[in-house]
Amino acid sequence: MVTERAREFDTQDLLINVGPQHPSTHGVFRMVLEIDGELVKDVIPYIGYLHRGAEKLCETMDYRQGIGFMDRTEYLAAFNAELSYVMAVEALAGLEVPERAQWIRMILCELNRISSHFMFMGAFGVDTGVMGTPFIYGWREREGIIDLFEEISGDRMMYAYFRPGGLAWDVTTNFKARVREVLKSITQGIKDFDGLFTENEIFVARTKGVGYISAEDAIDYGMSGPSLRASGVPMDVRQDEPYLKYAEIDFKVITGEHGDVFDRYYCRLQELRESVKIIEQCLAKMPDTGPIMPEKMPRMLRTPPGEVYIRTEAPRGEYGVYLVSNGGNRPYRLKVRSACLSNLQALKQMSVGQYVADAILVLGSIDIVLSEVDR
Amino acid sequence: MTTEETTQPVADFSGTIWAEVDRALSGVTVRPERGLIDVIAHIPRDEVVTALRRLKTDAALHFDYLRSLTAIDREADGIEVVYHLYSTDKKHNLTVKTTLPTTDLNVPTATTVWRAANWLERETAEMFGIQFTGHPDPRTLLMPEDMTDVHPLLKSHPLAEIEVLQGEGMGYPEEGA
Repeated sequence: MVTERAREFDTQDLLINVGPQHPSTHGVFRMVLEIDGELVKDVIPYIGYLHRGAEKLCETMDYRQGIGFMDRTEYLAAFNAELSYVMAVEALAGLEVPERAQWIRMILCELNRISSHFMFMGAFGVDTGVMGTPFIYGWREREGIIDLFEEISGDRMMYAYFRPGGLAWDVTTNFKARVREVLKSITQGIKDFDGLFTENEIFVARTKGVGYISAEDAIDYGMSGPSLRASGVPMDVRQDEPYLKYAEIDFKVITGEHGDVFDRYYCRLQELRESVKIIEQCLAKMPDTGPIMPEKMPRMLRTPPGEVYIRTEAPRGEYGVYLVSNGGNRPYRLKVRSACLSNLQALKQMSVGQYVADAILVLGSIDIVLSEVDR
Repeated sequence: MTTEETTQPVADFSGTIWAEVDRALSGVTVRPERGLIDVIAHIPRDEVVTALRRLKTDAALHFDYLRSLTAIDREADGIEVVYHLYSTDKKHNLTVKTTLPTTDLNVPTATTVWRAANWLERETAEMFGIQFTGHPDPRTLLMPEDMTDVHPLLKSHPLAEIEVLQGEGMGYPEEGA
């Protein structure tokens, strides 16, 4: 319908440059839009502004030193990024992680997913044109979680808290109580966003039916995470190939029906509730005392030759680490499979035929983190 | 082929999808290897795209999802291109590898099989100097447009300053421990 109406007003094509420094590009992302009037005819994305060569750097570093680089590839969900990396090292080195450490890892990763999704809600609100409220709401909730992370790891964003084998040190003694306290505030925060967005007529009108992508296309482009599940594909590493203790936990994989911007938002909102459910179960099952590292850890961690591809479900999709070892104390080759890179590939498919303002929404709805795209 | 050539004569592939893969790839030269999690299939490069397409279209395997595509520089033994495949409905994995000799780094593109391969191949191409023949958009991805002669992830490419710093200032512990 949109294209037919536009044909009556055929105008001259125009190239406009969005980014690399533009608030709506969520970092340093640049796209050139070819537009005809208000309609997007083509999108040419440019990435690489934040390429720091983390993979190459890791090849020169001890396994434990690599953890810090993983944090910096995915700074909004650093626990999830660390997890894939340390799991890959553990798989190669044959390390057994103590049960208590696994529960703590799970709780922290799910909390990190929540904080990342809140960040998305806030930023996405700005994309839709609501300047203040959702952003502040999102940051308020995220702040509570980050305070907790700081108490545990000593850092607000770059935690470097997971170690091959377990955790750097034990959590604080009031950990469970603090998590419960944070969960309470989160539950209210989710309600707030539900009222602010889902029940907001303007928001719904603005996002429904925009930026559609079919399940087949999304799979073919290699999309993952909520962006893929919004198209109705129930693909979730936590469910399909359970790691940590996810097999013992009861949770639902949220899928959408329409594969549009609204569904991508709504999937994330529902995922927040699922994460809260997961954490509550973890808290009930987690032992209060116990080791968090294997008893015997070598001072210099070496891995036998071999390779492994570990994938985990990060907030933005599948965060994979492909680790190749030749028997030394550092990776021979490390590849980070970025969920955002693959999600971003489908941007053109989703944006062509939309209005310029909606192209910004589409970009916002796949929730990119440029440091993860460029690595 | 690889530096740590697996020498076991007959590996055990029970409990894996190897039997299915072997059936789907009849007529293609395949050497299987049992990885830590996934089965690895080594396929010569002139057959690799045919094999990938067959793995995708085969009804029982249905590898419709390309998880990752990358390469490993094995120095004298050439460069390995690695494909990680997944099936979104059958929920199984396979790793496909093909080795390119260092003197002739080109392999047919997999973009004809999955569109996901597009950017992944662009990245692999610029990082290793591999040519994906038939690629629809062979520009650089992460590197600057005019830096087409530098391939950072090759082992021959130095990471000069860090190596120097670690060698002298930071006393990087290589031996002992």
